Parts: sequence; C-alpha cells; structure tokens
Amino acid sequence: MTVTADTVTPRSRKRIDGWRWAGRIFLLIMVLYTALPMAWMLLTSIKSGFAATQFPPQWWPAEPTLASYQKLLDPQNSVGQDFLRFFWNSLFVSVVTTILAVAVAVPAAYAFSRFRFPGRKFLFFSVLLRNMFPAVIFLVPLFILMRWLGLVNTHGSLILTYLTFGLPLAIWLLKGFYDNIPIQLEQAARIDGATRFQAFLLIVTPLSVPGIIATAIYSFIGAWNEYIYAATFLTKNEQLTLPVGIQRFFSENTTDFPGLMAASFLMSVPVVVLFLVLQKYFVRALTEGAVKH
Amino acid sequence: MTTMTGKLSAAPEHLTRRPNVLRQMWTSRADYLYVLPAIVVMLVVIAYPIYYTIDLSFFKTPPGLQLRDKIFVGVDNYGAILSSEVFWKVTLNTVIWTIASTMIAFVLGFGAALALHRDFAGRAILRAILIIPWVISAVAASYIWKWIYHSDFGVLGAVLVQFGFLDRQPNFIDNVNSVLPSLIVVNIWREFPFAMIMLMAGLQTVPDQLLRAAKVDGASAWQRFWHVTFPHLRGVSTVTILLLAVANFNSFIIPWIMTGGGPSNASHIWITHIYELAFGRQRWGVAAAYSVLLFIILMVLGYFYVRALSGNESKEHGA
Repeated sequence: MTVTADTVTPRSRKRIDGWRWAGRIFLLIMVLYTALPMAWMLLTSIKSGFAATQFPPQWWPAEPTLASYQKLLDPQNSVGQDFLRFFWNSLFVSVVTTILAVAVAVPAAYAFSRFRFPGRKFLFFSVLLRNMFPAVIFLVPLFILMRWLGLVNTHGSLILTYLTFGLPLAIWLLKGFYDNIPIQLEQAARIDGATRFQAFLLIVTPLSVPGIIATAIYSFIGAWNEYIYAATFLTKNEQLTLPVGIQRFFSENTTDFPGLMAASFLMSVPVVVLFLVLQKYFVRALTEGAVKH
Repeated sequence: MTTMTGKLSAAPEHLTRRPNVLRQMWTSRADYLYVLPAIVVMLVVIAYPIYYTIDLSFFKTPPGLQLRDKIFVGVDNYGAILSSEVFWKVTLNTVIWTIASTMIAFVLGFGAALALHRDFAGRAILRAILIIPWVISAVAASYIWKWIYHSDFGVLGAVLVQFGFLDRQPNFIDNVNSVLPSLIVVNIWREFPFAMIMLMAGLQTVPDQLLRAAKVDGASAWQRFWHVTFPHLRGVSTVTILLLAVANFNSFIIPWIMTGGGPSNASHIWITHIYELAFGRQRWGVAAAYSVLLFIILMVLGYFYVRALSGNESKEHGA
C-alpha cells in the first residue's frame, strides 16, 4: 500500500476509466440477460399460434395481433371468465394478506425494537427462523390443520398461511425502521402526558410510514406470486389464484404459447407496476432495516 | 401506567438480566401484548407442523390407506432414504443448485450494484429493468424460460443455430446433462436482483469521506474498493449470501414447473423430491423423514444465519 503519490496519480486516472468501461459493458450484458426474455414474452404474446411455432422464428411478429389478450380479458368467453376470476381471487387474497400482515407486524416490530422483555431475543430469532423452512414441509400438517379449522377450499387458508411466511421479513424490516427513529421523540411525548400506546400510535407510527409501505409491498408481492400452498389447499376451479390457475389451464392447452405468454404478462403487470411506483420505499427500508447496523 | 417498566430508555441489558426473571416478566407483561399476535400465528402454523412431521417420520403409510391408519416402523424410513441411490443423486443436485445459484447470483448482483452506484443518465431506468425479474412470479418466469428453451420452437436454440454455433435445435431441458445448468440460469435470472438491491443499499453506507481520503492519499480505484468499500460490505454480504442460500436450498417452483424433476431425476432437488414422494407417490412417512433430515441441515445453516444476524444486533446495541 505504500505507493508513492506521484507514480499513482496519472495512472489511477486511466484506470478509473478502464473500470468504468468494464462497468458499462457488464451493465449492458446484464440488461440484455434481464430484458431479452421479457421482450420475447411480449413479442410472442402478440403473435398468432401459427406464427409462434415457426422455424426459424419470426424475430418480429409479421402480423401482430392482440387476439390472446382479447381472449383472456373477454368476460363472455370461458377462458376469459376463468382468467378474470383467477385474477380477482389473487387480488383479494393478496390485499387481505397485506392488510393483516401490516396490522400484526407493526406492533411486533415496535416491541422488538423498543422493549427489553425477557425472551425478546429468543422470540425475535424464532420469528426469523421461520424464514428458513420450506413450504413443502408444512404442506401436509397445514392441510390437516386447515381441514380442522374448516378452511380447506377457502381463501382464508391461504391468507393465514401467507401471513406467517410474510411476517418474519416484515417484522425484521420494520424493526430496523423503528431502531432509527430517535427514542427522545417518544420520551418527549410521554413527558407531555401521552401514554405509551399514544406515543406509539401518534408519534412513531406516522414516522414509520415508509417502512410500512415497504412491508406492504413485500407482503403483497409474496402473496400474489405464491404457488405451492395455493396448489394444495384449493381444488375448486372457481377459487384458484393466478399462478395455479394458469398452470392448470396450460397443462390442458400445451401448445397455446401466445396465450401462455399473454397470461404471464398480465399476471406480472400488477406487481411490477406496484413495485416500480413504490420501489424507493422498499430500497430505503432495506437500507435502514437490513443493512445499517 | 403501572405496567410501564421505564425500559423506553433502553436500560443496559446486563443490569436487567438475571435476578427474578419471573417478576420481570410480570412487570413487562404489557410488552408481550405487542408481540402476542405474531407469536400466536407462528405457534399455530410452525410448531404444530414441525411436531407433526417428526411424528409421522416414524410411520409407514401404505398407499390407499387413510393417514390415520399409519403403521409404526421406527427408523426404517430413515434407513430406506440413506440407502437409496436417488437420495445421493438428489443431494448432489441440491448442492450444485444451491452453491452455483447463490454464488453466481451474488457476484452478478454485486457487479450490478457497483456499476449502478455512480450516478449517470438513465440509471434509474436501468435499475428498474434489472429488478423486474425478481418481482414477477416464479411461475411466470418458469413459463417464459420454458418457452425460450423449447426443443422445437425455442428462441435460444434458434439463435444458436442461426449464428452457426450448432447445426440443429438443442434440447436444453430434456437432456440429462444440460437440464440442471439450464435451470440454474433461470434461477439466477430471478435472484441476482435481490443481491443487487441489498448491496446497493449497503454501498450507500460506505462513508464518502473515507473514499475521498483514500483518493487523496493516492489509492487506486481497486485499492479503494478492496480496502475501503469491501470491508464495509462484509455484514451485508454475509446476510445476503445466507438469505440466497436458504432460498435456493428451498426452491421449488422453477424445477417443478419447468421439468418436474426430470429427465430421470437429473433436475430433482430435495424439495421437489419430497413433494413428489408425498403428493405423487403418497409415501407420506418417507417424505416426512426427508423433511426431518432437511430440518437438521437447515438448523445448521440457521446457526450461521442467527450468528450473522445477531452479530449485527450486538454491534448495533453496543454502539
């Protein structure tokens, strides 16, 4: 490390440019790797079934058509009916899960951040450990549990399950957020006569709104994309959520590639839009929660 | 108000520790109310399934029988697993899958985070594009890539043929040798953005003054990275790698939707194998025994996970 300044200064300038170019080329490759599959999904979805199955492939659709989208979104047609119902089911399950996850995670994260009750660390880590266990292990026992609770073939079974696997990260993210809110604010409120709960609700909660938004996005995306529990707990066609519904549908119509790509695209739109609109909260929550220690 | 323990001022833990845990639990009983909802949900949905799985792993459940008619067989299920060839095949696949996915996703994510750290025109758009694969559903991702890999009309094979690398459409996922790498490519496609977000967040915590000071002192770009930036990212990197490793070890959707574990088990990993044993072949006891072995492995990983996280915890409270 003992390099003399005069030998390094001119060379370091060149090197920075070298690194910068390497960075640009690397970014270009990564963007291609990321975007090309998605572009191909979109291009396929606006082809006819015939155009999609040609060799060599039509790189650009010769006769672009929105027929696949019309079919999926048309409530008159049986395919469209199913698709729209799956879409609605996914939306319902995801929204309810998100609301409940926030309602449960907020007080828990606050307590983990502020209070020093016995067993606090143990409880915190047992919550985190939940993250580690794969869904498959819980499938059979949870199925039996849901049957016992009378929740099989209801969306309640999914909501309850999604809550538990969304909670650990939600609590962790929010705890980091609360850790960064100065405790003096609450102390001041307490001195002014607020109860502990009032201080939490009126002082701390408004400040943690970005964290709550991040938690909500995380829960929503998790619930929207979940597949394995939905595939196990729901058997009635009219209750399926999108991932399972699409899988069932296309295991019967294996060659409708434009339809499959259109459905994949439509399924991705809500989460991608939500994420892109709110991503700054999410990145910020990760910075404050997961990283800054 | 009497239940207020005055702990808002974060009393040093060692003072409030031992003496009279019970009394302390009583005085801070109001605190538990905040955590209670989370704990109840966790207990119902975690503790019971774990107990159930361990119990079931000692029973045989012949197909066609109801689950409650199970037959006690002791540790036979475990013996059957460890002596089966499929077990070792699947274990090897899982190790390759987990390590390759984790390391490559981490390195790509790290590179992308570094490349995106400096501000330039269009940075926000590039970042958004790079994150999208992580947000979309794994089911959608599986179908997109299944279509790209298609053995007759797949675009990837067609590109390779057009540019003369191959003379006919290759079989990416119906081939014993190429199926696992092909699936790993898909998995990395979905996962590197997570590493990228974590490390981008981490990079923001590297103090600018230090970097500038190093520059003034004549450190090269590489030296600044290696001696200033990198040490600051050690904590984030550990957590990211562990989270990725756990997620990869537990992945299911991509192999299940794309290949169902085939051809001839070449892309079966533990989770898909357990799922097939339980729901495909109705061998619940064996599947439960597999799950218990999985618990044990995860507990070892979990030890490091908790240590990495609590390392962060104690630093935070010590400071």
